[in-house]
Amino acid sequence: MQILAQLLTPERTLCRASGSSKKKLFETLAELIARDRSELSQSEVFTQLVARERLGSTGLGGGIAIPHCRIPGCQEPLAALVSLEEPIDFDAPDDMAVDLLCVLLVPDQAHQEHLDILARIARLFSQGAFCESLRDADSNDKLFRAATEWADEG
Amino acid sequence: MRIVILGAGQVGGSLAEYLVGEGNDVTVVDCDNPRLQALQDKFDLRVVCGQASHPRVLRQAGVDDVDMLVAVTSSDEINMVACQVARRLFRVPKTIARVRESDYLAQEDALFGPEGFPVDVLISPEALVTRRLEHLLTYAGALQVLDFAQGRVQLVAVRAGYGGALVGREIAEQRRLAPGRDARVVAIFRRDRALMPRGDTVVEEGDEVFFISSRQDSREIMHLMRPQDRPYRRVMIAGGGNIGARLAGDIQAQFRVKVVECSLPRCEVLSQQLRQTTVLHGEATDPDLLTEEGIAGIDAFLAVTNDDEANIMASMLAARLGARTVITLINNRVYVDLIQGGPIDIAISPQQSTIGALLTYVRRGDVVAVHALRRGAAEAIEAVAHGDRDSSRVVGRRIGELALPAGTLLGAIIRGEEVMVAHDDVEIAAEDHVILFVADKRAVKQVEKLFQVGLGFF
Repeated sequence: MQILAQLLTPERTLCRASGSSKKKLFETLAELIARDRSELSQSEVFTQLVARERLGSTGLGGGIAIPHCRIPGCQEPLAALVSLEEPIDFDAPDDMAVDLLCVLLVPDQAHQEHLDILARIARLFSQGAFCESLRDADSNDKLFRAATEWADEG
Repeated sequence: MRIVILGAGQVGGSLAEYLVGEGNDVTVVDCDNPRLQALQDKFDLRVVCGQASHPRVLRQAGVDDVDMLVAVTSSDEINMVACQVARRLFRVPKTIARVRESDYLAQEDALFGPEGFPVDVLISPEALVTRRLEHLLTYAGALQVLDFAQGRVQLVAVRAGYGGALVGREIAEQRRLAPGRDARVVAIFRRDRALMPRGDTVVEEGDEVFFISSRQDSREIMHLMRPQDRPYRRVMIAGGGNIGARLAGDIQAQFRVKVVECSLPRCEVLSQQLRQTTVLHGEATDPDLLTEEGIAGIDAFLAVTNDDEANIMASMLAARLGARTVITLINNRVYVDLIQGGPIDIAISPQQSTIGALLTYVRRGDVVAVHALRRGAAEAIEAVAHGDRDSSRVVGRRIGELALPAGTLLGAIIRGEEVMVAHDDVEIAAEDHVILFVADKRAVKQVEKLFQVGLGFF
């Protein structure tokens, strides 16, 4: 099964969000996740995402970022997907502003499996046509379907 | 990074200049509009005029979008409340405040702990400066002594002098001359020009040599560079304010300390507080007073009032009347450039110390200490290596293999309890603390990049 089809839910998909900064965006993402998963605390998710980002940008290049972190109390890996109305500065390696973000949260215990998941997500987003289909989506529902129904993991 | 700075004074202004220069998005808040305009004319930044702790003003400054708030207004209370507002109303991820009042600092855990003011980093310039002065007194002859890894590693700057065993010899001979000791010379400034030291570089008299070593070894290495200076015994402090009083209190057991203070009521307080110190009432710029109090026999004269001009005049006078070493506190950056190397041996800028401390938190990657050196032209950085060979550009590699920018050298590595001087064959492991010297601060960005983890780090 395609990796986002496993990890994403419609509730954790947000299309063309408006966010003026990285910090705001992390707040939005933390809220989106905490609303869907009541066992996770919004401030914990926010703090962990910010802390991981400080150690090095999770920007992939080409306007894509995959912010990820470990979260105590997270039982299994989960993803959230956001497309942005306006791209924002993200300190990405290619210095391009980011407009597509796929968040990955994993349990506290580090695991090779998590690295594999991250690699699969990165491969998926390295396909230009896939990213274009996400950028074309103009509703949460379309974005979710575009992300999960894409068959080729690359 | 997006950063809001509260306060456009000396520290706020200089910090803004640094941060804008590094490509950050900076907004400065102050209630002094002309001062803000002056900043805006010089640098590419936004300004907001208003009371820095008011939510409306902070919102206008865009605090809702920032990664960090730095509160360095002249009021401790405004700084503390601004951090409170920034965290509670705007969830700013990182808050830094300058707090001077020692009465607050004495209650640090209760006031700034989890239940108290949400200040992630407290910066006390007086404490920073006092620590630096104490180091200078302990290491007679050093121009600068800076701590890393809780003092286990030191960066020492020293002027090479005739008679030092290594003077006139190649740096590599250091191991032979001081067996069992180890240090890495990370920079040499010769007639104010930076040299990239190599094993075969010959140390010359008058060179300003920066080396990094463990605390145990630093004194002996220092004495390779210049003949051993007689330890300081008699110390005279001009100015019994915050810094003077604190310094005297900390050192009065080891040194014979005299404090000169011009306010009589303050003298009375000091003489109550400082039992082992001689407190003198008078002006430190009065030659008769200095002579009477034996200035010619003073090993170290420290001018630490809050008035730059008074400090400079008193110091020049003390030097002329025979004080052996003269150390002067100077806030104005322009003066610092002007005077060091003349009759004044060492100029210390509280502003520079504060900026160094602040830079620690704006550096990307896991940076735990930064010292700004040579008036901000160079930097010494303590960074933590994370990840593995795949996700890091440093872990699992030998120092010789690292793609360090020009003018950048590794000085030491701290691994758990062990301190290792950085030689090319040492391999960096995850969680190592690495001490680097960056001779040209334009290379700092590349150093930051080097220590950042790649995508595959959780």
